[in-house]
Amino acid sequence: MANETPSQDTAKMPIDTGGVAPELPIEEAAGKGRTLWADAWRRLRRNKLALVAMGWIIFVALIAITADLWAPKLLGDPTFIDTTTVAQRSLKPPSTAHVFGTDKLGRDILCRIIYGARISLLVAVLAVAMMVILGLLIGAVAGYYGGWWDAVLMRLADIFYAFPYVLFAIVLLALMGPGVLNVCITIGILGWPSIARVFRASVLSVKENEYVDAARALGASTWRVMFRHVGPNAIAPMIVYATMGVGAAILTEAALSFLGMGVPLGQPSWGGMLNEVRSYMVVAPWMMAFPGLAILTTVLAFVLLGDGLRDAFDVRLKE
Amino acid sequence: MVPVLEVDDLHMHFFTRDGVVKAVDGVSFTLEARKTLGVVGESGSGKSVTALSVMRLIPEPPGKVVSGDIRFKGESILAMNERDQRKLRGNRIAMIFQDPMTSLNPVYRIGKQIAEPLRLHKGLSKKEAWVAAAELLDRVGIPEAEKRAKDYPHEFSGGMRQRAMIAMALACGPDVLIADEPTTALDVTIQAQILELMQEIQARTESAIIMITHDLGVVADMADHVLVMYAGKAVEFGTADEVFYNPLHPYTWGLLESLPRHDVDEKGQLCPISGQPPSLINLPEGCAFQPRCQYAREACQRRLPGLVEIERGHLSACLFSGDKQFLAESPRCAYGRAQE
Repeated sequence: MANETPSQDTAKMPIDTGGVAPELPIEEAAGKGRTLWADAWRRLRRNKLALVAMGWIIFVALIAITADLWAPKLLGDPTFIDTTTVAQRSLKPPSTAHVFGTDKLGRDILCRIIYGARISLLVAVLAVAMMVILGLLIGAVAGYYGGWWDAVLMRLADIFYAFPYVLFAIVLLALMGPGVLNVCITIGILGWPSIARVFRASVLSVKENEYVDAARALGASTWRVMFRHVGPNAIAPMIVYATMGVGAAILTEAALSFLGMGVPLGQPSWGGMLNEVRSYMVVAPWMMAFPGLAILTTVLAFVLLGDGLRDAFDVRLKE
Repeated sequence: MVPVLEVDDLHMHFFTRDGVVKAVDGVSFTLEARKTLGVVGESGSGKSVTALSVMRLIPEPPGKVVSGDIRFKGESILAMNERDQRKLRGNRIAMIFQDPMTSLNPVYRIGKQIAEPLRLHKGLSKKEAWVAAAELLDRVGIPEAEKRAKDYPHEFSGGMRQRAMIAMALACGPDVLIADEPTTALDVTIQAQILELMQEIQARTESAIIMITHDLGVVADMADHVLVMYAGKAVEFGTADEVFYNPLHPYTWGLLESLPRHDVDEKGQLCPISGQPPSLINLPEGCAFQPRCQYAREACQRRLPGLVEIERGHLSACLFSGDKQFLAESPRCAYGRAQE
């Protein structure tokens, strides 16, 4: 209540809208049959930073998806090594021929970054999907059933928290062997506890709502109540976590690849490229700068978008 | 004829860390088709827990039916497995909740929510259920029902939402409709409309209604029988006329006296029942109402009165309800005594 009053005042003041996109009149906004999602989207659109972040993510994703169509023609093969000319072509600084320079084997770094985006995004998205599926299931059961289930599952989450993250990941990968899918599984297995915790808290608060009792009073089964009535209402905060999780997964994949435990070195990945640069950091700083920049901007974009989504889904921030 | 619903000496206790909360501690009533039972009592007297027990919506643990039985058309609900109970819920026994603002799911369209019991119990297809839902909305008096069925709950007003809730409860044509304070969250004019709607629907269908309320006016309006509850126990049960015009239990006297009266011109003070309802963990010895009872005698502290039939079909749980002299003391005019 207390923070509603001032925000309503500002909404009525025409000065505040100056410079920003013209605001919808409050009545019109409320009258137009809005759902939570439409409402969130409307608020997200006003967040410039989040939009830029989303634009960047879409840009990177599009480049990664369509790479095969144009990249080989323009930039050559990201993995091909011409052994006869390596000496002349390796470790060249950025030029018009190679915008981001070349690496020690004479491969175009821009090309490798583009193909690296494929691996990095694919791994991140798959890992987050795995993390979210595990986290949602476990969080829902813990939150909805409570009691014994809750205690056991949450203690399990605590145990996962207590493990040194990177060490655990290395052990898991050492057991399963390297490979794109195994990296996804590892990140998923290590990441579910945070998702589960947040979803559990969300479920706990949602299940106290009277419409949950009402659904049970209609004769809906426990699973139906959990997935049709509690789930959709508790999911909004998870969108935020999943978005930020993609950023975190890119970082983890990069770290694992850097340590040589992630994506096999033959396949270009951002972390792997950073691994290769270790001994040339001083002679060829561009080899480090560009993959690093790719990781930085993409992870930042996911975090900023996550931030924007959190604000967009937060009803208490209603203007 | 077998009554549609029988609650037989129900004891629903909650086992908490602080002790056993005897939320419902010996409640019995029977409900026949087309009849309305009004359940009245203060907050915490066990009205809602009784209703939720009938629906089997009390989480166990911490709740547990210690003893007693609930029978639907002669068959024990407590003995049924979860699947059979589900087949009753929303189908044969439906419930309307107190706060229409929170009892509709915000993420689904109204029509879809009304269609849900039809899909669950009648096996209708999505389309059939949607058409039926629009018809139900129309029947509960929502204008342009077909169009409004596409609305989300937040686009409905409080009164309309309660109508939607009623439509949902009525979807499968239940034998018993439990309304847990259906009008408490609504303003007075809407209250009257909702009650009228419920009466209208009862006249058209065979439904029996359990009307839980602390509004004696609502009970007087609607109920055939009245159950007065105090501290988890039934203290008086009888026809509405008997309970209102010839109340036997001092608690009922207190409730009736605490009503504002518009037939008295003088501006007097209201006459509330003094004190607080007792903690359900440590009930006082003897009669639970005894510490607050103006008419309590020494015996009340020692003996726990049972619910006894005083007149035909009129039961009371007071040691002295059978005592003509005691009943003669019952207040005739609340304002007269307040001025003493």
